[in-house]
Formats: sequence, structure tokens, C-alpha cells
Amino acid sequence: MILLLSVTIGLSVIAIFPNFSEAQSELKTFITHSGKVIRTTGDVIDPLYTVSTVEFDPMEYLREFNYGEVSKLADGTTVREYTIIAEDDKVMEVSPGVFYNVWTYNGTVPGPTIRATEGDLLKINFINNGSKEHTIHFHGIHPAGMDGVFEAVGPGGGKFVYEFEAGPVGVHPYHCHVMPLEEHIVHGLYGVFIVDPKEGREPADEMVMVLNGLDTDFDTENNFYAANTIPFYYQHHPIQINSHELIRIYVVNMVEFDPINNFHLHGNLYEYYPTGTDLVPSFYTDMITLSQTERGIMEFVYEYPGKYLFHAHKVEFSEKGWVGIFLVNDSSESDDSDVEYGS
Amino acid sequence: MTVMWNMAVSETSKFKVVASGVIPFAFVVVMMLYIFGPGADLLDLGVALPEITIEKVDFIDSEIQATVRNTGPISVQIAIADVNDRIQPAAVEPDGFLDRYETALVRIPFEWNEAEPYRIGITIDDGTRFEKEIESAAFALEFTSDLVIFFAIIGTYVGIIPVMIGLLWLPFIRRISKSKYHFFLALTVGLLLFLGIDAIEEAIEVSNENLAGSFNGILLTATVVVISFIGLYYAGQKLIDRADSSKLTKPVAIALMIAIGIGLHNFGEGLAIGAAVGLGSIAFSTFLIVGFALHNTTEGIAIAGPLSKDKTLSKKSLITKLIGFGLIAGSPAIFGAWIGGFSYSPFSSVIFLAIGAGAIFQVIVVILRLIREEGDKNLSGSSVVAGIAIGMLVMYLTSILV
Repeated sequence: MILLLSVTIGLSVIAIFPNFSEAQSELKTFITHSGKVIRTTGDVIDPLYTVSTVEFDPMEYLREFNYGEVSKLADGTTVREYTIIAEDDKVMEVSPGVFYNVWTYNGTVPGPTIRATEGDLLKINFINNGSKEHTIHFHGIHPAGMDGVFEAVGPGGGKFVYEFEAGPVGVHPYHCHVMPLEEHIVHGLYGVFIVDPKEGREPADEMVMVLNGLDTDFDTENNFYAANTIPFYYQHHPIQINSHELIRIYVVNMVEFDPINNFHLHGNLYEYYPTGTDLVPSFYTDMITLSQTERGIMEFVYEYPGKYLFHAHKVEFSEKGWVGIFLVNDSSESDDSDVEYGS
Repeated sequence: MTVMWNMAVSETSKFKVVASGVIPFAFVVVMMLYIFGPGADLLDLGVALPEITIEKVDFIDSEIQATVRNTGPISVQIAIADVNDRIQPAAVEPDGFLDRYETALVRIPFEWNEAEPYRIGITIDDGTRFEKEIESAAFALEFTSDLVIFFAIIGTYVGIIPVMIGLLWLPFIRRISKSKYHFFLALTVGLLLFLGIDAIEEAIEVSNENLAGSFNGILLTATVVVISFIGLYYAGQKLIDRADSSKLTKPVAIALMIAIGIGLHNFGEGLAIGAAVGLGSIAFSTFLIVGFALHNTTEGIAIAGPLSKDKTLSKKSLITKLIGFGLIAGSPAIFGAWIGGFSYSPFSSVIFLAIGAGAIFQVIVVILRLIREEGDKNLSGSSVVAGIAIGMLVMYLTSILV
């Protein structure tokens, strides 16, 4: 009886007072949505506001354009040569403390932003260093054999050269087109392909935003959403822009599973060029709705300095990472001579 | 038996006995060392999937607190907390790294609304999200003297008073014939059988809803029921054996055992009530309280049954014993309500419910033996059969009220 009783008491003590791992003494603080300061002796897990970095740098990706190795044909046509290597074994920290197997073009999600001018001859040397078949399927106009659908490139160093003329003008996605397609896309095999008009566009501070999602537990629902892969990144690393300066965003929606995504800008409206194929804007709005691979070009100028949010107005997406901040600096204090357009 | 055998043999063969016992054990140790040491590759099959269980969610002032336990085979790191699938900043105390079975408290500052449902999610380092749904948010109970008294009153109402009322049937049971007395004993068996099955069902339900698979809820329940049963059976037999030589008469000893068994059972009922109040299902716990109170009057009859047999007790001593037994059987409801309300843990609930069930089954065995000793050797007399059947039915009907 006594034995039974002591076993009972012992077991229940263990159950009632769980064995917390050894305590830390240092007091840390963090601030909530409503500005409340929380103190804790434990770990702070705050991907929203804590300034943290992971392997991939969305700030670098934002304004990085790959123009390729440039050469000229005898007739004066510009030839641009790119090398893209696919891999599928990389485990990347996608949000502080969360590790996910990404499939990459040139080591990043999204892959490099390929940029050319309409009419250029493009030569894309594709190497598949992954363990599965992969391809590159460009949206745009090209011969059937260059479509990256029926020409699967074998794993372990398989090669293929995509050759076609850049066009039409606009912003397009490229992605792997091997079945099961959804798997190859959601793991990260996609990127942006920009075709500039021959006459160019007005000089602007240009950036690329791929709206994407990450299904880290494979339940065909996204656990995270983001502009450029890392959730909340541009919230704790605001994008610095200048007032009275033209901002141009090439935005591409690559979210899977959810039928739509959208882009809302605070304190301003933007001229919107769907798919970027036309040089005249179709809308002047602060809200566009984007279906899968739907994309376009946004142009706007901020008059007043300060902090402005941009985010999905599908609030579920913004509260899972697709939210950022433009920090508008007063241009009278800064030099805006570095603004340029294209190559 | 081994002891006797050992005494019969010489010193050298004693050594042999020890050696023959130790050698296989030594091989077991070698086998285990091999599999964890050089043979570790053998175990390196497949992928170990991490698992955590959100065991408890408390709603306090502007904050939601989740108690998280690593119930998987490998260590995990807590990476993200969310409320209704929306990511929230949070604190993990003492830290986010959890070894097997280790727990942490995740504090999520959140302006929650009373009586609304919430889904609390925790994402770990490999990106897997685990969730617990709360049907209706309510303030976690704080340990105040008002609440302590409140639970004590409820425990008294549910446990002590109904049992005492049930004991009032004693004079009636005393005056009836032997076969009618058997009927009442059998009725007790029926009542208890129902309570035992009920407790097991409850234990399995709690473990299914709140315990991780790695706790093996059903087998945990079975193990504790059996240990509780044999432990009490052993202790009870000692008590009855001693009864012959001590002041306790055999009927009193049996009644005492029934009171202890029912007491352990009522502890489980107290836990259920405390937990229901704690989880904010107030209306539900009102039903629970009324139902248990009605239900528990029958438990008084169970104690009164064997006691009525003892004609040697003086009136005064009988009354003291009745009050004593009533307290033993009823007051654990108060302790149960305190624990259930202030520090609810699904694991301890399963343990207590299973102990209660084991205690009940032990009491059933004792009463059946009493009936057999009283003359109904096959337990097939009409009064016994009818008693058990009616006991079950009465319990079923009163349980609908809960």
C-alpha cells in the first residue's frame, strides 16, 4: 500500500511539475504587435520584428540583375550567355530556426533574375547537378524544343542549352517543368526573366519581388509566405528608398496551393503594367490580385518620407511572412544620381 | 521458494546460483552496449520523425501559454509559435531546445477574447507544425483562497454529502432478510462495475485527447489498473486477516476497503470537475456536479452493505465509523477538485483514474467473495444476478445526467 502510494505520488509529482530543462538567468525582452514589452528568462522566438539574418539575403537579391556574358554577332545582334545550375539537396534556414530542403537554380530561391533586351539572342547553359530530372521552362515566345517540358535533363550533371530570342517585352517567370510539377515548383525551382523594351524605360530604383510560399511540412498548405522567400525579412530589414524618386518593382507571384495572392501598398498608389508587356499602365491602384505566375510591373513615387508597409491584403499571408516596409528617406538629404535603368 | 532452496545447498553452489543469475544478465548488458556502440549502424534505418505535444494551454491576462513536451524520438528546437495559424512573437521558457520528454512553456502575448475558440500552433526546426485546438478560451484559474473554498464546497457537495446520504440506508439494509441483503451487496457490485468501466473509459479518453502516442495511453491505463488492483488486493487481504485478531471486525474491514476504493474513485471525479471549471466549461461542470452528486449516493449504499452485517457494533461506534467511512470515501473529491482546477495535467489524470478503476475492481472481488462466504457459492442466485443487473442500470441511468 505504502509502495503503491509512493509510486503514485512520485508519478503524479513528475506529471504535475514537468521537468523543465535547466533555467537561464539572463533576462531578455521583446516587443509585441501592440508595443507591449515582454520580459523572459527564456528564448525569444520572434521572426516578425527581431532583426535576424539567414543564409539567403533577400536584400541582395532585391536589386540584383543578371545580364549574362555579352557578345555581338556579325549582324550586330547582342548575344547573352548565362549558366544556370540546378541542385536539389540543399537544406536552407528559411526562417530563423526553421530548416527546409530547397531545390535551387544557382544556389538560391528564387534563382537569378535573368535580364535581357527584346531581340537579344539568349543562350542559357543549363546543368543539372541534382538527384532528379530538372528543366528550365521560360514563359515567353520560343521554339517548341526550347520549352523545357519534353526535354528532361538527367540528374548528376545532365546538360541542355536553351537558345531563343528574348521576347516579348515584360516580366516573366521561369521554372522547372518536370512532373510532379507542383513539387518541383514549391521546393524553389523558379526565378524571374525580364525583357526590356529596346527603347528602355524611364530611369528608376528597380527591384524584383517574387511572391512565394513555403510548405515546410508537406501538407499542401503553405506554412510561410514572403516577398523573396524569407518571411518578414523586409519588415525587420526595411527597404530604403528615396522620396521623389521613381520606384519600379517587377513582381511575380509564384505562390502554389492558394489560388490567389495580392499586393497592397501603403500611403501611395502605383501605376500597374500587367505582365509588363505594354508601355502604358493599365491601372492606377494600391491593390492588385495575382493568380499563379501572374506578374507585372509597378511604378510609384513617394512624396512624404517615413515608414510605409507593403503586404498581402490576404491577411493570412501577411501574418505568415508576406509583409515588408519601405523606409522612404528624404531625397533632399541624399544624392539620387545613382538611379539608372537597364544595362 | 528460492530462499528455502538456497538454504538447503552449500556455499559453493550458492555462488553458482548467483553466477547463473548474473551471467545471462551480463550478456544482456553486452548486447545493449553493442547496439548503442559499434552496432549503432544497425539502428540507423529509416528517418526518425520529430514529434511534440501541446499538453496544456492556459489563457492569462493578455497572454496565451502553451506547455509543450517533446514526445518524439529525437531532440527538437521550437522555432515559431502561432495563434489561429497566424505567426506571433513569443518567448520559450526555459529554452526552445527540447530533449526527449522535456517540456517548455511557450508564452505568446495575445489579446484573446473570452469564450472564443483558438488553435495554438508550434512549428519546430524541421518546419513541422503541431496544433492544439481550444474550444473556448477562459481565464486560467488562479490560486486564491476563494477558489480553494469554492472547490472544497463543491467537493463536499459531490463527495461527502451524497455518500453520507447513501449511508443512511444502513438501518433499512440491516432489517432485511439474507437474500435481500445479498441483493444489496450484488447491487453494490453492479454499481462499482459500472464505475470501474467508466473510469477506464475516461482514462483512455483523456490519454487519447491529450497524451502523445509515445505514452501508450491504453497500456499505461491497463498497467496502472492492474498494479492498483493487486496492490490494494494484497493490502486489503492483510487488513482482513488482521481483522480477526484486532478490534476491527471483518465486515468493518470490508467496508473500510470499499470506502478507500470509492475514495480513490471520487478523487478522479474531483479531478474531472476541477478540470471542467478550469477549462472554462462552467455549464458543463454544473451538470457534472449534479450528476456526480446523484450518482454518488449509491456509493454510500455500497459501504453500508457489509457494515450492516456487523451486529456487534455499538450505536455510537457505528455512527463514528459511518462518518469516518463517509469522509474516507467522499473527501478525496475535494483534493481531486483542487488538483484538477489548479494544476491539471493529463498524465496525472490518467494515472489517478486508472488507480481508481483498479481500486474499484479490487472492492468488487472482495464483495463477491463475501457473498460466496455468506452462502451463494456460484453467485448465481436470483438476488445476486438481479442486484448486479439493476446496479449497472441504475448507474447508467444516473450517468445520463452527467
